[in-house]
Amino acid sequence: MQQFNVHKIGPEIKIAGVDLSFTNSSLFMVISASVILLFLFLGTREKKIVPDKIQLIAEMFYTFVAKMISDTAGSKAKPYFPFIFSLFMFVLFCNMVGMLPYSFTVTSHIIVTLIMALFIFIAVTIIGFVKHGFKYLNIFVPSGVPVVLLPLITVIEIISYLSRPVSLSVRLFANMMAGHTMLKVFGGFVISLGLLGGWLPLGFSVALTGLEILVAFLQAYVFAILTCIYLNDALNLHH
Amino acid sequence: MTIPEDFKTRLKIAKKKLKKQINSDDVKKGSFMGGAFKIGTELVAAVAVGTIIGFILDSWFDTKPWLIIIFFFLGTAAGILNVIRTANRMQKEE
Repeated sequence: MQQFNVHKIGPEIKIAGVDLSFTNSSLFMVISASVILLFLFLGTREKKIVPDKIQLIAEMFYTFVAKMISDTAGSKAKPYFPFIFSLFMFVLFCNMVGMLPYSFTVTSHIIVTLIMALFIFIAVTIIGFVKHGFKYLNIFVPSGVPVVLLPLITVIEIISYLSRPVSLSVRLFANMMAGHTMLKVFGGFVISLGLLGGWLPLGFSVALTGLEILVAFLQAYVFAILTCIYLNDALNLHH
Repeated sequence: MTIPEDFKTRLKIAKKKLKKQINSDDVKKGSFMGGAFKIGTELVAAVAVGTIIGFILDSWFDTKPWLIIIFFFLGTAAGILNVIRTANRMQKEE
């Protein structure tokens, strides 16, 4: 579909055989990041006691993420607040910017979400090894398992651990792509059924747009909260 | 920063109103749907990862098709483990 096509903007840039050209995907990442910067800049410009609307929203985002981290990963995860906050805001704004007509949804491409998930996965693994050394390998060996079953359980645990980046990235990508495809399909029905029968799918389209905005928020939330949960596993070893 | 007197009273009234709201509303409704989305992929991802590991090991050791079968089932077990863990976590949150 046309809305998922990636095309180059400007000249082709190749460094050491790798295509690094600026695409519409990169453009919309830049747009999302700029919107976040602008929004947070406006929200924190005047620090009033009685906040105006934009400051209130910025503060709500802050407390929302701060509460999420302290609830799921405890106080040890406080140093990682900037990372999780930027991650949440970036995913959220990419999803939301993608909801605008004629825009491009960055998160509807698995390569983007997979890179983010792999970064989190590798970072969490490194944090785990740095904090606990080789004891971190204990998360693959649950306590209270008979010795006979141990090899089997360990293999299952390793597969379960390796499936984390896959489930994290596929969830975000599939939700965004399915939502946009569904909107497109219903939009197509409106055209093909014409003035007589087109009203029903049009109504559906309106409802689905609302649902998509909910999903956009929810997926950003799920992405961030799962990062917190993985971080919690790495920081507080208790298996 | 000095806080003016009328602001203090306004804050008091606002806090009272907020308390009433918190008792009655259901903030957590949205997170149920997030949980529903979460569990499905959790299962599928582990099965996929298990099968891919089996496929790679098969082409390494030239033992087609035994390892892919074994790892498919191990992946399924890992997926079920993931789902149980997610469900446990969700129950704890409530």
